[in-house]
Amino acid sequence: MDVRLWGTRGSIPSPGPETIRYGGNTSCVGVTLSDGSLLALDAGTGIRNLGLSLPDEPTRLHILLTHLHLDHIQGLVFFAPAFRAQTEIVIWGPASPEASLRDRIGRYISAPLSPVEVRELPCDVSFRHCPETEWEIGSARIHAASVAHRGPTLGYRIEDGGNSLAYIPDHEPALGADLDALEEDWISGFALARDASLLIHDGQYADREYPEHVGWGHSSLSHALSFARRTGAERTVLFHHDPLHTDEQLDELGEEAKQAWTELGGEAENIELGVEGAGYELPARVPSATATG
Amino acid sequence: MSQRPLELILARNLMSALSTPAFLVDEGGLLVFYNDAAGLLLGKRFEELGTVGADEWGALFGPFDSEGEPIPYDELPLVVAVRNGRPAHATFAIRSTDGTSHEVEVSAFPILTAHGSQGAIAVFWPAATNGTGS
Repeated sequence: MDVRLWGTRGSIPSPGPETIRYGGNTSCVGVTLSDGSLLALDAGTGIRNLGLSLPDEPTRLHILLTHLHLDHIQGLVFFAPAFRAQTEIVIWGPASPEASLRDRIGRYISAPLSPVEVRELPCDVSFRHCPETEWEIGSARIHAASVAHRGPTLGYRIEDGGNSLAYIPDHEPALGADLDALEEDWISGFALARDASLLIHDGQYADREYPEHVGWGHSSLSHALSFARRTGAERTVLFHHDPLHTDEQLDELGEEAKQAWTELGGEAENIELGVEGAGYELPARVPSATATG
Repeated sequence: MSQRPLELILARNLMSALSTPAFLVDEGGLLVFYNDAAGLLLGKRFEELGTVGADEWGALFGPFDSEGEPIPYDELPLVVAVRNGRPAHATFAIRSTDGTSHEVEVSAFPILTAHGSQGAIAVFWPAATNGTGS
């Protein structure tokens, strides 16, 4: 499983000289499964560059949306493969009692917000509500679960080749809860992230900023680290950077994260801030021969 | 591993911050949490008691009707709420661990989600005395 970060920013794109290293594009992670299947986790503005990186040939891909806030869907109408007739796109997302996934996304991909309508997209596009149970895409098993954020929001766990990727970019598990004291099954998102090979998790706020943003649906640095520690994730990438955070400020936050992580008993190289363009290769793990017993 | 539904997690988080006694049951009617205010009423914190079944709960705390008779489990507002998906209200007495009886009014409502009923919440109030009106 290969993982690449195409957009690490939260809330709104924030291009400029102050954000050039960590990137200004909003949430999008590309995943290539061991059988070659392609996934895009969220469709923020980062998905535009993901689309440009794909060859102009028949393609089938799955877009897994955590939720429909604009910073997670804004790139859909600038995703080049969507404008090719030979592309098949399956868009997965959270169900809502209010309207279908297609209709809710259609509010963005329609006038006056968009020059094109969903029905005008040349590609073969379909919309599916994520099931409550696990399902398969290519060589992976996918598990989606509701997590603490504003509005219907999912996190994902993708298991492939003996590895697991947990993707929970918008998450406030510590809202009204003490993550260090709660039982595991009472922690939002715990089952998704448990012992994950790679956890990509909300780390939008510095601790000093969080009190002004309680209930906004995002984590402070300390909360993100507590969640990572409790779940036992092997490696954690902090994601969904605040648009006001410059590269310099994110460098400081990254150092703070490494120090706090080592104080929690972890290894500094297993915690980092997401950088646009960064890639993570998760080589297939061969099951132990002793397990055949 | 199994994970509590998010709606129950958020309900517990909210209840933890309330000073009104509140109880939470899962979709099967099993008591899975009560807050510190409820713990003060009962004389035992949830962390001390843990999850208990209906029989043990009844033996410890009741509840009892105005004649002092135990109220059947199936008639409790929380159980009615979670099974019928409807709000329920009742007045009864519960007994704390020191033997003190407390008359309370109980309002329970189900936690309905896109995936059906996930449980119910009950909030306890000191029973209103006659003539208070509100």
